[in-house]
Amino acid sequence: MNFLIWHLLRDSVRRVPEKEALVHGERRLTYRDVAAQAAGLATSLRTFGVKRGERVGIYLEASVPQVISIFGVSQSEGVYVPINALLHPEQVMHIARDCGMKALITTPAKLQVLVDVLPQIPSLEFLIVTGAGALPDLRLPVHQFDDSCAAQSPAVWKESSIEKDLAAILYTSGSTGKPKGVMLSHANVVAGSRIVSTYLGITETERILAVLPFSFDAGMNQLMTAFEKGGTLVLINFMFAREIVQVLLKERITGLAGVPTLWSLITQPNSTLSKQPMANLRYITNTGGAMPQAVLKVLRELLPTTKIFLMYGLTEAFRSTYLPPEELDRRPSSMGKAIPDTEILVLNDKGEICKPGEAGELVHRGPTVSLGYWNRPEDTARALRPNPLLPPELGDCERVCYSGDLVKTDEDGFLYFIGRRDTMIKSSGFRISPTEVEEVLFQTGKLRSAAVIGVPDDVLGQVVKAFVIARDGDPLDTEALLAACAEKMPRYMVPKFIEVLAEMPKTSSGKVDYPALRRREGL
Amino acid sequence: MEQAQTVEDRVRDFVLRQFPLARKSGVRLEDKWLETGLLDSLGILDLVHFLEAEFSIHVSDEELSPENFESLAAVVSFVDTKQSASIS
Repeated sequence: MNFLIWHLLRDSVRRVPEKEALVHGERRLTYRDVAAQAAGLATSLRTFGVKRGERVGIYLEASVPQVISIFGVSQSEGVYVPINALLHPEQVMHIARDCGMKALITTPAKLQVLVDVLPQIPSLEFLIVTGAGALPDLRLPVHQFDDSCAAQSPAVWKESSIEKDLAAILYTSGSTGKPKGVMLSHANVVAGSRIVSTYLGITETERILAVLPFSFDAGMNQLMTAFEKGGTLVLINFMFAREIVQVLLKERITGLAGVPTLWSLITQPNSTLSKQPMANLRYITNTGGAMPQAVLKVLRELLPTTKIFLMYGLTEAFRSTYLPPEELDRRPSSMGKAIPDTEILVLNDKGEICKPGEAGELVHRGPTVSLGYWNRPEDTARALRPNPLLPPELGDCERVCYSGDLVKTDEDGFLYFIGRRDTMIKSSGFRISPTEVEEVLFQTGKLRSAAVIGVPDDVLGQVVKAFVIARDGDPLDTEALLAACAEKMPRYMVPKFIEVLAEMPKTSSGKVDYPALRRREGL
Repeated sequence: MEQAQTVEDRVRDFVLRQFPLARKSGVRLEDKWLETGLLDSLGILDLVHFLEAEFSIHVSDEELSPENFESLAAVVSFVDTKQSASIS
């Protein structure tokens, strides 16, 4: 019976051991290869002292070791924490400290960058590095990834975890504060895989190109669906969108998931996509923001035989809705309806179901509702609440996820996105907390006040705009401010625009009046 | 005087202006943008737009390859080739 994440892999090994499971450049691994290495890693992790429920960070670019690590940590009964390779040392440190990370799997080059922050992660006991390269001087034991994967695993694998146990923590931003860790159980991830592979019709013949990082719920879901069904997952590191198109052709890719930015890039007027038919590409999926209608139109022309699924999900509930391809003509701007085995409620402020056309909050119920935020009971209580529509006899036996997204339905029950309830910014699929950017701006010591909002951008969805007031009315070097931001944050978080104000608009209670700032921008 | 600047200077100025991280680490000729984390794939596209406008060249889809854009040295050599091609 398959109820833990690594069981998906174990099951595929039994069915199709020699099938190509994972491709990265010239490297090609069968299911037997992947499972053997993951089992070796799991054995080593236990030998190194990882116990059930302990957190292991994976800070790697898209690579074979990244995939093996996810399944190896899962098999060891540890909890894997994928960290986006774009993050800077400060963010990595925050994640590692926040979740009490016991071990970190990374590269020698990344360790060189992390060397200053590692001593500030008291829970960290050992490191595993992939590939060759000089290592900085460290006080921690360092194990080689390949050696760890080569360990002989016992003939009988003992485990006591059940599907309700914590399997992964995905860090994501909200409207305030530093990124929070969304806790996913084995049941959440396995259900997400089962549900999505069902409605996408994924089979053993699928060849899926993984462009989205596994630190995104949708990226991780691609990996799980491919491995659940015994398909092939192809990894890519790319500089230009055209390299994606080349791999689509070379690897005869049948399924591709992307965010709006990706589609904008690969549909540029002179794109290779317009010169070559993509006969193998059975489906594409969009998530992480609404696809611009102009881009959708071009994609439909360039990919006449490819099914286009518009999807919506939030990390806190893993995956939520999709628009069936046959509805694209009728409702191209819709987010669709609930995924299978899931109910989406649109609730007004009184907690009642909204009528068609009435704006309300998207509330998700189903098997992918996460376990909440790691070590943040108050935030968890705000996002996951008892189902308000259950009859009182059932008590509060069920938690549903309040998304913070305002939506409405049409007469047929299809959903449409309206906006956020709060001030969270979404750029290129990344969630950005305004307060996290403001905090970095403040750290420069040059500002009396700073407020950050999202402004629309054709390609990225939104970009960050900062309003600042200089301390003591000094003249401000905005270039220096941006430079300070760029040192502390990945590029998608760095403000694209900075405007110096003489006075910050305030509400009657003295807080920054964000709606007034948005009105300034005509929003 | 603007025109007296070499291609290398102009590209380096743009990178320093557009990618503040570069100001801290500096931009060396052979450093690979992606490996050092100076530019990501979206940043490279900004660079392509800049080259087209600044040097009045057209970068075709086929020329958008890592070999032409992986480092400052690669970009300078690519722009030089494009410019001499348009003169001849």
